[in-house]
Amino acid sequence: MQRPETIRELGRRIALYEDIKAYKELYMLLAEGLQRFSYSMIRSREAAEEIVSDVFIKIWQIRSRLGEIDNLRVYMYTITKNFSINYIQRNYKNAPVSIETMDIEPVIETGDPEELCISAEMVNNIRKTIRQLPPQCRLVFQLVKEDGLKYKEAAEVLNISALTVRNQLAIAVRKIAASLPPHLHTYLAAMNRFSAS
Amino acid sequence: MNEDRFWLLISLKLSCEAQPEELSELETLLQEHPDLQLRAGMMQTIWSASAKNTTDKEAFFNKHMQRLSNHFSEPALQYEEVLQAAEEEAPRRRPLVRKLGWLTGMAALLALVIYLAYPKTVNTGQGAALAQNTVSTKKGSKSKIQLPDGTEVWLNADSKITYNEKFQGNIREVQLEGEAFFDVVRDESRPFIIHTDVIDVKVLGTAFNVRSYADEKNTETSLIRGLVEVTLRRNPDKKFTLKPNDKLIVANDSFADTSVHAAGSGPSQDVCRQLLTTMAKIRFTENESNALETLWVNNKLAFDKEPLEEIALKIERWYDVKVNITDKKLKRGEYSGVFQNESLQQVMEALQLSGGGDFSYTITRKEVLIYP
Repeated sequence: MQRPETIRELGRRIALYEDIKAYKELYMLLAEGLQRFSYSMIRSREAAEEIVSDVFIKIWQIRSRLGEIDNLRVYMYTITKNFSINYIQRNYKNAPVSIETMDIEPVIETGDPEELCISAEMVNNIRKTIRQLPPQCRLVFQLVKEDGLKYKEAAEVLNISALTVRNQLAIAVRKIAASLPPHLHTYLAAMNRFSAS
Repeated sequence: MNEDRFWLLISLKLSCEAQPEELSELETLLQEHPDLQLRAGMMQTIWSASAKNTTDKEAFFNKHMQRLSNHFSEPALQYEEVLQAAEEEAPRRRPLVRKLGWLTGMAALLALVIYLAYPKTVNTGQGAALAQNTVSTKKGSKSKIQLPDGTEVWLNADSKITYNEKFQGNIREVQLEGEAFFDVVRDESRPFIIHTDVIDVKVLGTAFNVRSYADEKNTETSLIRGLVEVTLRRNPDKKFTLKPNDKLIVANDSFADTSVHAAGSGPSQDVCRQLLTTMAKIRFTENESNALETLWVNNKLAFDKEPLEEIALKIERWYDVKVNITDKKLKRGEYSGVFQNESLQQVMEALQLSGGGDFSYTITRKEVLIYP
């Protein structure tokens, strides 16, 4: 649904025809992910909503030049990042200026215990593991898994190399996997404990 | 087996970044190590878990649109406060027309024609024919008028503005041919609408320029301050909201038609449609505080990288002369310059010099001939 062609086409329609329907579609496609991204950095839902609204205002202001933007999705994630960092610097003393030093609150869905057929305790374990990933790693994981960004896109947004994205993501997956029950018998044991409790 | 390698392959597969050979490598590893299958499967489930649609995107969007419109109306509101003071001056009942000091000697006489009793069917309920005021300027002359509501209108050369004599009713309407700069007195209860051949401009209180000469390619609306809404007459559903410094360029119908036909096999239909309306910015040149589009109000003749062909049209109106260019290539040459109180001779000389002397010209009475 978030196909690059779709987003490029929407950008083109907004640029050429000031198409408000295309603008709304773009909002419907991207606003949620952008809000999640901003929230991870600033930890305020209200402010994240405002920041994303500002991002879309900016998009409307420069609508005639949208056609010149190579990858609109990357562009919008990048200005969301910049606006969020500005927000932090305005609102906090001694604010971190880079994502590596920022405390990232990941918004990552792990699914319900029922879906995974594991205990709530284990789901909590997975969530804990995610929260313990390095900040940049958490953001990479969120952008690729939740928002479906390509490695190259996530790399551009976070201003790191695509290889770093690839490595960070492998680390995230490996660490999460390590928190899962390794064998069927431990898995079943966990299930038994779950149903007994 | 290297487990790191295995999880790297899994991560590549999940993010749809794996190459075919990486996928087959993963396949082999999974067959060789069935003990990894359980966790790989769970990982897959975790990966595909996505946020439930709990947020009401529609509500977020509506809230956003509210912010967007507030954002755009801000300059207008600021301006409206300033205007309140200006509105204290009681609007005059009769149009005030005066010859302006800024008319230079070389400009021809201000031609001011007021037609009365021009019948027009307006929805006033009286049914009777309403008196129409028409103010027009000849080539080589400009004029400034004040409408009954206090709105000031600067009328450029070869232009005409028509309005209902009493200027009453729910809306203030004027018809424009040619170019005019409006400084509209704010009256929220009575929107001000300017009709031209291709667009309607709706405003509250604001200052802006409308250029709509029938023999030019485009109709241009340039907003200096406030907020205006432009509707295309050929497509009334399409509305453009202009912010200060915005300029909307709409292709005039006759030219639009030819451009579509001329396209033929060439550029796609989209490109043609793109040509019909363009949102641009008003332009400024060095040493001028006012926008290029409105310099004529200060009696300055300005060109900004304009083709000689278009400059010729401006000169024709400004000096009331006929300009002929004999060479097609010359017509496309671009020139810039701002002139004030300069004679036709001086303007032509400056253009010739700035172009590196790639054309010659002769001026005979009411005609300028430009040749290679």
